[in-house]
Amino acid sequence: MTSALRHRVSDEAEAIAFATKSGWGDGLPIVSPTVERVQACLEWAAMEPTQVIGVEPVKERVLTAEKVAANAVLAGCEPPHFPVVAAAVQAMCAEEYLLHGSSSSTGGCAALVVVNGPIRQQLGMTGTFSVLGGGDQAALVIGRAVRLVIRNLVDVRPGDLDRSTFGHPGKISFCLAEDEDDSAWLPLAQERGIPADGTSAVTVMAASGPRQIMNEWTTSPEDILETFASEIRANMLHYSIWGGNYAVLFAPQLRDKFEAAGWSKADVRQFIFERAQVRRRDWEAVGKGAVVGTSKADKIYRALPTPDHLLVVSAGGPAGGFGMVVPPWLGTGSAAVTVPVGACVDC
Amino acid sequence: MTHQPHLELVDPTSEAPESTARPAPRPSSLAGGTIGLLSNGKTGTAKLFDHLERMLRDEWGVAEVVRRTKAHYSAPAEDTLMDEAATWSALFAGVGD
Repeated sequence: MTSALRHRVSDEAEAIAFATKSGWGDGLPIVSPTVERVQACLEWAAMEPTQVIGVEPVKERVLTAEKVAANAVLAGCEPPHFPVVAAAVQAMCAEEYLLHGSSSSTGGCAALVVVNGPIRQQLGMTGTFSVLGGGDQAALVIGRAVRLVIRNLVDVRPGDLDRSTFGHPGKISFCLAEDEDDSAWLPLAQERGIPADGTSAVTVMAASGPRQIMNEWTTSPEDILETFASEIRANMLHYSIWGGNYAVLFAPQLRDKFEAAGWSKADVRQFIFERAQVRRRDWEAVGKGAVVGTSKADKIYRALPTPDHLLVVSAGGPAGGFGMVVPPWLGTGSAAVTVPVGACVDC
Repeated sequence: MTHQPHLELVDPTSEAPESTARPAPRPSSLAGGTIGLLSNGKTGTAKLFDHLERMLRDEWGVAEVVRRTKAHYSAPAEDTLMDEAATWSALFAGVGD
């Protein structure tokens, strides 16, 4: 039985006008959340309308399947996309993710969503060409649905509770599938505890804008990772020195070097854990000498509290020695969370 | 009567009931009381709270000023802080951005 408020309109045109005027969207064209479309999502996921997807802990805001599905429809999701949206929302409601704080912060982060498992193929997600840039339609609408949930259900909107000084394009959509099919590495979700039995999963991380790096002039894993570590160190000095989760994406042309050298994701994490560190006095070189102080000038700060704080993801198109560094919102203020698709918190 | 076709839309926004929280009663006087100054941890609160503390002591006659800082800028204040705050006469919360 539904519990959500309904609005009656005469036709699709009026539905779009009503939804737009009501502020349900993000400024881009929307799909009207008709009862039929919402119900189709619920039936696909075998969820009751009032099933609890998650509870945002600070405002104790209950997010039901029906409401999350309405936002998924608004974003352009088809029913098969909905279980992934629901899983991402469930993950964001985990206390350690700090949904309220991360989404309302002046820091302007977005929820990075990494999709693993067979559902990627079912949704046509490749995680290859133009990943994070509209390469996968499913990723685009899933990420958009996540942001609409934050706006509409957690009531975090720019200028209101969302106090972001700068946003970044990930605040429109920030989702990718890991390219598991062209990688010798373990999928991210399996490394984070999801069983390798065909379970699909999502990992969410409160993240700043991604930074692209390039190093296609070496076959040395150490040299390649030094480029990644250098980008991370720069983020620590230019933006925030506080350590937390970072995500690093490796395109195939770089992954090949690691496979040839027999490097696992664990090896990558250990190397970056050791190399991604700065001293407080390094701030002097980037115009922040005023906060170095004297007593802590030689204090060392690590980007990663532990090697496992680094999320290593296989993604990107086949050509180019490119990688990506996705920094955290703010240190350990928010922790990355991984949940299986289809898990129920209310059953 | 002709049946008019229509669509029904599921409202995607929160229908959470309005919070029942209300501001605490205004104290009739600060004199002799214990006042808490709670910072979100950003540097902007430091000098402001220094000045506020002087005012409270010199002009408003408070007995004690307690300075506290949240563990994290963007997370709710810890339960232990809120338990302590319940013993104060009044609390000033500052966002030092």
